[in-house]
Amino acid sequence: MLKAEHLSKVFIRTKLEEEKDKKGKGLKKKSVKEEFYAVKDISLEVGSGEILGILGPNGAGKTTLLRMLGTLMEPTDGRVVMGDAQGGLIEEPVEMKKNIGYLSGNTKLYHRLSTREMLKMLGDIYNLSKEECEKRIEEIFKVLDMKDFGDNRIEKLSTGQTQRASIARCLIHDPDIYIFDEPTLGLDILSADAIVNFMKEQKKLGKTVLYSTHYLEEAQFLCDRILMIYKGGVLKEGTPAKIMEETKTENLRDAFHVIMEGADEA
Amino acid sequence: MSTKRIKSLFKRELTDIFRDKKTLIMMVLVPLLLYPLLIVAMTLITSAVMSDQEEKIYKAAFYQVEEAERIQDVLKEHEEELSYKLKIVESENPENALVEKELNAYVTAEEKEGRVFYSIHYLSAETDSVTAADVLYDGLELFREELRKEAVEDSGLDENVVLYPINYEKTDMSSKEESMGSMLGSIIPFLMITSICLGAMYPAIDVTAGERERGTLETLLTLPVTNFELIMSKFLAVSVIACTSAFLNILSMMAAFGFMFVFFAESVQNLSFDFATFVPATLFSIVIMLVFALLVTAVCMCVCIFAKSFKEANNYITPVLLVFMFSSYAGMLPDLKLTAATAAVPVINVTLLIKDLFSFQYNYGLFAVVLFCNVAYSLLTVMVLGRIYNSESVLFAEGFTSVKIFHKRSEMKQGQLPGYGDLLLLLCILILGIFYVGSFATVKLGFAGVFVQQLLILLLPVGYGWYVKTDFKKLFSLKAPGVKGVLSALCFFVGGFCLNLVLSSVLSMFLKDSSESLQKQFDVLLQAPFPAVVIVMAVLPAIGEELMFRGFTFGIMKVKTKPAAAVLMTGFIFGCYHFSLVKLIPTAFLGCLLAVLVYRTGSIFPAMLMHFANNFVSLFVSKYQEQLEDRFPALMNLNFGGSQVLVFAGMVVVGAAFLGLGVWISRKKE
Repeated sequence: MLKAEHLSKVFIRTKLEEEKDKKGKGLKKKSVKEEFYAVKDISLEVGSGEILGILGPNGAGKTTLLRMLGTLMEPTDGRVVMGDAQGGLIEEPVEMKKNIGYLSGNTKLYHRLSTREMLKMLGDIYNLSKEECEKRIEEIFKVLDMKDFGDNRIEKLSTGQTQRASIARCLIHDPDIYIFDEPTLGLDILSADAIVNFMKEQKKLGKTVLYSTHYLEEAQFLCDRILMIYKGGVLKEGTPAKIMEETKTENLRDAFHVIMEGADEA
Repeated sequence: MSTKRIKSLFKRELTDIFRDKKTLIMMVLVPLLLYPLLIVAMTLITSAVMSDQEEKIYKAAFYQVEEAERIQDVLKEHEEELSYKLKIVESENPENALVEKELNAYVTAEEKEGRVFYSIHYLSAETDSVTAADVLYDGLELFREELRKEAVEDSGLDENVVLYPINYEKTDMSSKEESMGSMLGSIIPFLMITSICLGAMYPAIDVTAGERERGTLETLLTLPVTNFELIMSKFLAVSVIACTSAFLNILSMMAAFGFMFVFFAESVQNLSFDFATFVPATLFSIVIMLVFALLVTAVCMCVCIFAKSFKEANNYITPVLLVFMFSSYAGMLPDLKLTAATAAVPVINVTLLIKDLFSFQYNYGLFAVVLFCNVAYSLLTVMVLGRIYNSESVLFAEGFTSVKIFHKRSEMKQGQLPGYGDLLLLLCILILGIFYVGSFATVKLGFAGVFVQQLLILLLPVGYGWYVKTDFKKLFSLKAPGVKGVLSALCFFVGGFCLNLVLSSVLSMFLKDSSESLQKQFDVLLQAPFPAVVIVMAVLPAIGEELMFRGFTFGIMKVKTKPAAAVLMTGFIFGCYHFSLVKLIPTAFLGCLLAVLVYRTGSIFPAMLMHFANNFVSLFVSKYQEQLEDRFPALMNLNFGGSQVLVFAGMVVVGAAFLGLGVWISRKKE
């Protein structure tokens, strides 16, 4: 179980603004510093065996939200907690990270290591014993079909292979919670399907999955619940079916358009 | 902190670095090849030059010299002794021939007061000409010697009594090892520091900016490790590489030079050394170098961490490393000695220590100081590194705020506050301004020059603030001080004055004031009418320096960082600005107090008042020292015999009490 309470994140950003000069002719650019809420007061809770999809246009705050949920980034306000096996709550980022598998477009791998070497190093950090770690690596290689290239240096792998190596990285410590930021972005159909199937499998195993995507069809069939965010705030939350019903649309893509138009008018 | 996690991260960093070909080349191949190649090149060049010189025959002429033939005979006779061959040619127009380089030098003669006066004409810009002239000069000396002997013989005197009543010679008492050591001591620090810098630079960039460029930083952040563990593992990995690199350098250097000596020692008997004498120096050097490598590593990482790419990191690190390398030249300066003071100066202390070690001067106390300082600086830098690495804006590369002045004024946002970049730039401009304009004006105009300099300090921050359209009230804390502000300024002044007197007296026991010329300059300035002196040296600094340091500097700092850090930094910068080692601590202390005053009262005017009072009292005492001594002898010559410590303690108590009072007066209302 992963729970976020009133999360907010403020950045200071520089923005170029255009304005007319004194005589009223010609546009001038000037840079302005401003506080800017990347995420504003979002609360959510995801339980075991549930897949939560986070949707929203570019710049909506998806990545920042996921970074805070993965405890990579400290929220300006609010907090993130996680349920442990005994029914208590974990709040300590380092402790939480032990139970989270986080993957995003920005989590690249060390090119000069092979997947196996990388996993061994991670095993050490996650405090796995040597035997345990090796057993786990064999399992992962089998599940992700990586035996052929598991010992090659990562710089030599193809895009699809690299993505599988990235997933292997999230799996090594067998976490209860997966946070995937656009995991299927830029992959071919086969690789993307493999990842979607992987998430389904994890759900069956009772794991918690949070993921963000731009592929709405994928989200419609995969997610138990959808969180639509825009400009740092929540626009809509609910099951895909409920969202489609409320917007009187046939699929999630149309629903997305309807909701976005509504948001821009408001 | 888990050592196990640090260990596995460290192992990964090392594997990663070692699998990078560029690092390997920089670290292993370059040092291994560099020294042998250097020696081969040196040998080749030297032998080429030597053989060239041996074969060379210089052309010289005697123009209208009566005794030309006799001098030629002398030259011929002593050809071996002079070790150069001279060919005497005829020349009708030697001056022309010299310019046309047909001649290397020529001699003319004329009669002056009954004696012959010879002139050797040569071109100082031409090496050959200089050599030829030297030979001719020596030749003429020999000729004069001969004439003397003849004269003495003719007059029937004893040559030994008249010409050589005494004999003398120089004897070098230092052993071969000592002269060798002094040579090694000036070269080795430079080579070692350079090699450590080069060794640390590449991996430092790789684990910071390189990591970010490759996009693996966020991956690291997903791991259950603290930022401190991350940075420690990186720091250790880079240190290991830097140390290895330095070690390889030393080995390669020793192997190459050792080989050269063994090789040459066979042919030249004089060059046999007892290498064992250098063992202690080498061992100590290795210890100090290892510690120094930690410092270099930490500094390199601190700088590189801000860079978003390899290229950017390279740009940042180059000037830093240049400073390190230039400082390592300190060993070649003859007058710079390792003392308690220089032992605390980073880089230079290492250089001087190694120089001492190789000159067989083992001062264990200073060695300990240097070692301690380097460890302390390294720890401090690592702490700073940890702090920087903890901040999200660095980790997620939201980046530094750009320097504002590079935009057009019309693009400036009304009421914005400058940032660290602006502060750094303005301080640089200030230093340049004082260096060029200020010192020029002071030398040329004297008293009026000081006025110009003070005006410069006043105008710079104000001008900068105007250009970026800053909020003057906010940046410079322009707020009416109120009665409380004035009262607390006076309390701060008295307290600060007492404490500073004690501080200066204590410091003067350790640091010698070497600024006699400054003191003289100051005395000259005091000759001006007292009101003018007060205006230029108390009123203007109180306004200008306060606007610059407690206004601009502190104004930026207090927004960007915690109050305590802002106060300390402002004080430190203010101390450095006085360009004097003796004044550094007292002025930094004063700067801190002034910043506290601004912070407490929210207004710059109390600080101006305190600054004015402080300068005014100093000026007044200096100007009317004699009169004051006449009138208040007890006060001016505080002499309590052996109870100096008691007086100091009393003054500390009084000073602290006044400061406390000042703080209490300026307390903020709830």
